[in-house]
Amino acid sequence: MLEPLVRFFAPQPLRLVPYYVAGAVVFSILVVFLLINLPSRARKPLIAIVTFLAGLFYATEFFWPIDKATNKNFLTDYLVSASKLGSLLGGMTLTLGILSLLRVHGRNIARLRAGWYNSLALLTAMVAMVIFGLMDKYGTNAGAKKVFNVLFEGMLINMDATMFSLIAFYIVSASYRAFRIRSVEATILMVTAFLVMLGQVPIGNALTDWLPREGWIASLRVENVKQWILSQVNAAALRAIAFGLGVGGLAISLRIWLSLERGAYFEKEI
Amino acid sequence: MQHAFEKIEPVLIVEVLTAVIIIWRIVSAQRGKELFIRRIPGLNAIDEAIGRATEMGRPVLMVPGIGGFGIVALQALSIFSYIARSTAKFGNRILMPVADPTVYTVAEEVIRDAYQAEGHPERFDPDSIRFLSDRQFAFASGVAGLIQREKIATSFMFGEFFAESMIFAETGNMVGAIQVAGTIQTTQIPFFIAACDYTIIGDEYYAASAYISRNPTMLGSLVGQDFGKLLIASLCVLGSIAATLVALNVPMLSNAGKWFLDLFTIR
Repeated sequence: MLEPLVRFFAPQPLRLVPYYVAGAVVFSILVVFLLINLPSRARKPLIAIVTFLAGLFYATEFFWPIDKATNKNFLTDYLVSASKLGSLLGGMTLTLGILSLLRVHGRNIARLRAGWYNSLALLTAMVAMVIFGLMDKYGTNAGAKKVFNVLFEGMLINMDATMFSLIAFYIVSASYRAFRIRSVEATILMVTAFLVMLGQVPIGNALTDWLPREGWIASLRVENVKQWILSQVNAAALRAIAFGLGVGGLAISLRIWLSLERGAYFEKEI
Repeated sequence: MQHAFEKIEPVLIVEVLTAVIIIWRIVSAQRGKELFIRRIPGLNAIDEAIGRATEMGRPVLMVPGIGGFGIVALQALSIFSYIARSTAKFGNRILMPVADPTVYTVAEEVIRDAYQAEGHPERFDPDSIRFLSDRQFAFASGVAGLIQREKIATSFMFGEFFAESMIFAETGNMVGAIQVAGTIQTTQIPFFIAACDYTIIGDEYYAASAYISRNPTMLGSLVGQDFGKLLIASLCVLGSIAATLVALNVPMLSNAGKWFLDLFTIR
């Protein structure tokens, strides 16, 4: 039943792409125009129906029994096409995101606000990355590919790594504050963390190496205490949190799916 | 492809039962049943934190995490909508850096709407909601820079956070901001607890919008969630008893225990 639709959204030969793009633009403009001009009374059920059908599709696909040989049910093949709609939406909103960047930083440069040169560097880097990225992917110019490599591998990746490395220092300062003994809870936290850390390093294990490896007394060896804390105390707490989050996620999904959520995000009903 | 497991009955039964309970409680709440929610200190601190920013005349930062558009981001926006109403009332400046373009688009509408609802649409500054980058550490450095430059007074972090959580929280701490955070990522909760003044843990995150809005639908849903958790906890206790009976090989009872364990064994 959905076969023609899937064929329509499947990758097309390059010669057809401009027609598809033009068609998509016209279709999007029409849809947006229709949605804007729809009276609120009609818009509300329309949004509710679309939301319900979208949710129903994924729920049915997930719960419908599968054919054991193919590991699929009758909806599985359409998942990719449905997911593409999400990617399309992301692509469209990215334009709005870039416009936001241009607006904020363009104004900084135009008004020569404090630190305007940072905004200039950001916009220059953004434009350079887009141009050389496209040239790298679709062009054949070796120079452009080299520039892109310097920008991406030489700069961006390293800057990412630098930010990531900072976390180590931040963890130290945050841990220092958290582990200061100010209350019973902080003391328990500190003692537990200390035992787990001791259990992770050879020197910690060496401290109780004189204890026998068998019998009940072996439970007091640091590595066993660490293992007990992680697998019994910590795992139980994490599972409890995970159950709570799972049920919470189910509740909010239900409210959205059945459109019970109206008024929570937007004060006026949409 | 990810599906319900080959043997779907237990998943289906528990999920449908929980869903029915949640809907039942929502309907009861909508019919006017009084419901009680325990005190959540992190959420009570929101007003205090906004008040501090008002006194200091410095901005309020709201970070919806780096996750994409989904229920976690929607929940974060619901909390930020409440915060924005307060900031609109008191005339605080807000800053909301966003990493996901779809979240950015919706966030702008939600915050604008909150200002309108408070009767101060003129106070809404579209530049206060900013798309920075969808790359994790580019976004992290952008937010850290904003915190340092703007010397924020208050920081609210709700959403999906990963390794960058520590960068936000510690930078906020450096400028002396009061910080309230909540995430569903259990790996990031310890970092927030260590670095922030208040942390919303686990399903308190999903309780937040009900707690602050007192909307009957959400309150009912929250109570339904608690019943759902009770159901799961009961199954855990029954499972433990069943496993013990099987291990002890108690005549008759061990067969019942085996049947129960088999019912909830996912293959």
